[in-house]
Amino acid sequence: MARVGVDVGGTNTDFVLEADHGVYFHKVPSTPNDQSDGVLVGLLQLCEQAQVKPETIDLIVHGTTIATNVTLENDGAEVGMITTRNFRDILHIGRHKRPYNFSLHFDCPWQSRPLVKRRNRIAITERIRPPSGEIETPLNEDEVLEAVALFKKRGIKSVVVGFMFSFLNDTHERRAKAIVEKEMPDAFVCASSDVANVMREYERFSTAAMNGFVGPRTSFYLNNLKDKLARDGFSANLRIIQSNGGIATVETCSQRAVTMLMSGPAGGVIGGKSEALACSAKNIITVDIGGTSADISTITDGQIKIMNPRDTYVSGHPVLIPMIDLVTIGAGGGSIAYIDSAGGFHVGPRSAGADPGPACYGRGGEEPTVTDAQVCLGRLDPDKMLGGDLPLDKAIADRVIEEKIARPLGISVTEAALGIIRLVNSNMALAIRSNSVARGVDPRDYSLIPFGGAGPLHGVALAEAVSAKNVIVPVAPGITAAMGLLQTDMQYEHARSVIASLSNIGSDSLTRINRVLSELSGQCRKDLEGDGVPASEQQYQKIAECRYHGQGFELRAVIKTDQVTESSVTDVIDSFHQQHQLDYGYAFLDGEVELITLRVIGVQYVTPLKVPRLEKSGKSLLKDAILYSKETVFDDAETHSTPRYDRSQLRDGHVLSGPAIVVQHNSTILIPPNYTATVGEFGNLIIEHNN
Amino acid sequence: MSAQELDPITLQVISGALDTIAEEMGHILYRMSFSSIIRESQDLGAGLFDTEFNTLCESESTPLHIGSLPGYLRGIDESLQGGTWNEGDVVIHNHPYFGASHSPDIGIVIPCFYRGELVGFGANTAHHLDIGAATPGLIIDIPDVFAEGMLFAGTKLYEKGVRNEALWQFLGRNSRAAKQLQSDIEAQIASARLGVRRFEELMDRYGRDTILAATRQLMDYTERVMRQRIAEIPDGEYRAEGFLDDDGKNRDVRLPIKVCVRIIGDSIQVDLTGSSDQVETGFNVPFEGSTKVGCYCAIRSLLLDAATSEITVPSNEGSFRPIEVIAPKGSIYNPKYPAAAEARFTQVNRAIDLIYKALAPVLPNEIIAGSSASLSFAAYSGIRPSGDYWVFLEVNEGAYGGRPQSDGPDSIDNLMANTRNNPLEDLGMHLPMICDRYELRDDVLPGAGRYRGGIGVVKSQRILTDGFITHENERHHDIPWGIFGGWSGATGKVEVFNIDDPDEVRDMPAKFSGLRVKSGDVHAFYAPCGGGYGNPLERPAEQVLGDVLDDFCTVQHARNAYGVVVDLVNEQVDEAATESLRSRMENEPSSTSIPTLPAPVVGEKHRDHVEIPPSLSVSEAASSNGGKLASLEAIRAICGDQWSFEVVYYSQRGNTAEVRGELRSDQSYVAETGSAVNGQGVSLGAAFQAATDVSFQRCVERLVAEQL
Repeated sequence: MARVGVDVGGTNTDFVLEADHGVYFHKVPSTPNDQSDGVLVGLLQLCEQAQVKPETIDLIVHGTTIATNVTLENDGAEVGMITTRNFRDILHIGRHKRPYNFSLHFDCPWQSRPLVKRRNRIAITERIRPPSGEIETPLNEDEVLEAVALFKKRGIKSVVVGFMFSFLNDTHERRAKAIVEKEMPDAFVCASSDVANVMREYERFSTAAMNGFVGPRTSFYLNNLKDKLARDGFSANLRIIQSNGGIATVETCSQRAVTMLMSGPAGGVIGGKSEALACSAKNIITVDIGGTSADISTITDGQIKIMNPRDTYVSGHPVLIPMIDLVTIGAGGGSIAYIDSAGGFHVGPRSAGADPGPACYGRGGEEPTVTDAQVCLGRLDPDKMLGGDLPLDKAIADRVIEEKIARPLGISVTEAALGIIRLVNSNMALAIRSNSVARGVDPRDYSLIPFGGAGPLHGVALAEAVSAKNVIVPVAPGITAAMGLLQTDMQYEHARSVIASLSNIGSDSLTRINRVLSELSGQCRKDLEGDGVPASEQQYQKIAECRYHGQGFELRAVIKTDQVTESSVTDVIDSFHQQHQLDYGYAFLDGEVELITLRVIGVQYVTPLKVPRLEKSGKSLLKDAILYSKETVFDDAETHSTPRYDRSQLRDGHVLSGPAIVVQHNSTILIPPNYTATVGEFGNLIIEHNN
Repeated sequence: MSAQELDPITLQVISGALDTIAEEMGHILYRMSFSSIIRESQDLGAGLFDTEFNTLCESESTPLHIGSLPGYLRGIDESLQGGTWNEGDVVIHNHPYFGASHSPDIGIVIPCFYRGELVGFGANTAHHLDIGAATPGLIIDIPDVFAEGMLFAGTKLYEKGVRNEALWQFLGRNSRAAKQLQSDIEAQIASARLGVRRFEELMDRYGRDTILAATRQLMDYTERVMRQRIAEIPDGEYRAEGFLDDDGKNRDVRLPIKVCVRIIGDSIQVDLTGSSDQVETGFNVPFEGSTKVGCYCAIRSLLLDAATSEITVPSNEGSFRPIEVIAPKGSIYNPKYPAAAEARFTQVNRAIDLIYKALAPVLPNEIIAGSSASLSFAAYSGIRPSGDYWVFLEVNEGAYGGRPQSDGPDSIDNLMANTRNNPLEDLGMHLPMICDRYELRDDVLPGAGRYRGGIGVVKSQRILTDGFITHENERHHDIPWGIFGGWSGATGKVEVFNIDDPDEVRDMPAKFSGLRVKSGDVHAFYAPCGGGYGNPLERPAEQVLGDVLDDFCTVQHARNAYGVVVDLVNEQVDEAATESLRSRMENEPSSTSIPTLPAPVVGEKHRDHVEIPPSLSVSEAASSNGGKLASLEAIRAICGDQWSFEVVYYSQRGNTAEVRGELRSDQSYVAETGSAVNGQGVSLGAAFQAATDVSFQRCVERLVAEQL
């Protein structure tokens, strides 16, 4: 019995295998043309390394950027859309707001790169009347057939149906979808009420259109991978991570590919959370620092927060899918430092990327980056990057910092390098604040979890900047996201708009709410049963997305009882007030609370990954882990002779006093003076200030 | 004050912190607020200010609010209740003659005391649904500023932390939407308090002197960047002009706008002298809070374009310092007390559009062709069956002119406007209104060009109770201009009809006040379309084909404007026919008339400019020209009354007046240019009229030929 997590990133594909006899890590280069090639190659190598037969693996959890890449490369399906007459341009108009206040030459992606070209948006006679949802004008089926004929003529293979007010009554969407499926049996077809059965026409249509755009290629990739795995003797269940941090089957993800769009950072957040929970930390700030960007997420009481649907955009298009609440900023190891024509000093968001990469890579990069500054300050040893596989050139790093920053500002190279680090840390700290302090969270109660190859170099400085409690460095910072895949729960969500006042609730509304809750639970149950989850392991979370009557944005309130009753509704109202207080620092306690959307999440909690315990430090001496010592400059501009520890030689209970640096294959950990790192029972490093 | 210069690294760290505070203030305000104009349209601004009223940071919300708050602070300084600030005070302020942007934009200002000393202010403005004016929501045709509703100048809503309950109750009794007004003010107070708290934390962290020194240096930095950009423009005086439909009351009086942009080294003067005198309605622009802010916005968008600039310049006072705005007292851009000045947006947007036109000769790759440059701001209201008053404000979008490297965006907030529309489904669920149509206009075409103008929207809102509509809107007469060979766009229109009698359509003027409507009445707004940029014959044929397939363009228009012959059945370009048509059109000046650019004039000399012709139209009565009568008969024989003729462009070259007209019927579209000579007893107006006639006759001839 064994499980595997496979995370495909831009550069590398990371693997974690958990078998009865241990946990194994592996990494192979990604294969961008067909990600499944790299997945298969790596899996077979890993099986050999771990002495595991392919057929004994019973679960493979996969994180893939396939859907995201379709949007980045703008290379999805030609989509046809059937929509309501007189509302042909909902997707073209969007929310009529420009992306910048002060600009004449801005781009509107929803117009310049539409998910559905206007020629393929066909308006049909039909009308649903609000607020009752009754049919005012029946669907003109002949017009649907004419639209289908045009789609066929144009060779379109993906069709979405989006009608106004379908969240009140989806009869017309269902019927039109059935006609399209009958006439175009090979096409990828979805209705807006399938993917986001909620109020707000533009966002719902955009979600459906995005699903139609990424669906065919995503579905092809997943099914192809499934076939290849079977061919190579893998009989494991294949599960895919979604943007909300849950996993789902290939079938579900093929139909609702849109749920995978923002799954990239999800594995990391979950991986970081698991490592923190293993150290008994429940209030957590995860910071995943890569080459070009950093993803930051705040987790309170072990509960991952879901982003407000108002903020979920992909490539400039709104997508109403639940995704983990995080902020991404353009700050990473490759971020470029420069001085503008008026003397302003900047780091990022422009990045040297993988090619040419930082100047110290010696591949022709001539602009100083954050990585160059780390090398210059002696924090990254040129011969230790990726275990020595990637030699760095310190002379080049020093030269570009001198030419581009130090000389123009009239400061020393060391001061310039420290300035680069200070500024990139400041940018990241502000992003952490916007995801924590600005939402009513006090970071002094939180542990900061830095990961990604570059994360642990910045962890302590960031914790200091935001006054976090301490820093917990994961066991394998470079592959925390892959480890997260084995910590995710099976999760299905269904939602529907039900608009009713909770403060003045009547028996009609209660009946409607309970009926919809039971239908949504039924849909989740069907999904879980389809995955073979026994009834005893199924759990349900019920959420009421509410706002004060007259407001425009909903917040999530919890429904704790099976049924909502006249007495239990006050708990839901209180839960909403609390959330409002938390998010905005203010609650209108006498305000009328209005329900907008009901949501049910069906979950099967998985057994967490069992990272083996380290040996106790008793018999091994800390000094045996020291490789050598070198001069290193810290943030206070002091230079210290700093010992390098080999992380693989550290044992449970070892205590390291700063200044110190811990190196491992895919990461380097910086422990400044006046900080102490303690090795935890699983090998996590807990770094705290000495007082 | 510390004279110490901060290093650029610390400076950038503090700059980031200030930006974050402003964003947090704006975020709290729009997420917490109740009325859709704040929460969806984000018609708000928030930031921190020093004791000299300089902006230290501002949220990226709506441009007209950005930069308006210093005016409020100066106004409060003149009018502050009791004359001194105390810790715990909250001031409410909206008086347009004390620096406010306009009266519905209520400012909330909270002083920031650090260790007992006043160091600055946390402040914000937000547009409120109803402040008890003469008509619900919006006002145009009113006699003076006192008809605008409640006016506050330096009034303390909280004194030393204690709320003035009499004032609070007064607010609750003097608005048609009192609940929203009070809740939104509470959201404003929460936002300003947060700003003050964050400002104090920042000073705790870095020290008061460092923060104040940093804010001064950041302003200098922004100013330096702006001056560098201005210095790159050749010195000179650049002019453009246009006109406004009317003042909302005197329907036949067009109001001139004259813009002169003077580049003097690294500074700019925007001079609006010569524009209309102030008007007798509320269609005037408060100078401090709106005219100046609009001109700043124009220059900043042009020279520090956020989409193309590599660096993001901090939002602060520094960007305004190199810009001087001039408008004579008593003019529409600087009215005298007690003129009303609530409906002020569209005049400002038109001035911005003309600033770009003026600078076209020297910044051809930066400016864009004429945009809708108006604003549609509609107030719907009525009484629910429950007896409650309901008021709803809606900002409708415009369209951009063609741009040097891309088409003008369609159906989008234009120039200084940048709001979000309301979800139609949310509206249908919560208000006695329903939207019957929301899509791109198909009754007119945008200006053709290498890059076409943007297409305006049509939005039909039906109201389901009896009530009122007020509409602040413009541009039914002055057509958005094309440039460098691009064609003119199209004007807007407004129709009102009842759903049960859709053929009884009332053509409305662009702006009207307090129109009484009945349940089932539909208000249909058609936005102007932008002008084109560059010669349409240079637009790649494949792109024109795409436009035709997408219904951005008709087959006829592809042929007439772009010289592209489209085979609609096979969805292809007819290459051979297109090539021959294009080469013929290139050699045929009449159909490729290139509008002239206003020539730059250096120094003090003012260019002789073209006076606006009174009205260029085809009328039988005015005609003594046999050719034109024959043309009228010919077109009527073919189309009956189902045709229209419009002048889309006119210019004067030497002593030749040139007019381009467009003739449209159900199926056809033709455009031709006519010219006539003036001087020697022929007035310029008469020459324009004659040129119009020639244009019309040519159009008819061509249409007749195409019909055969």
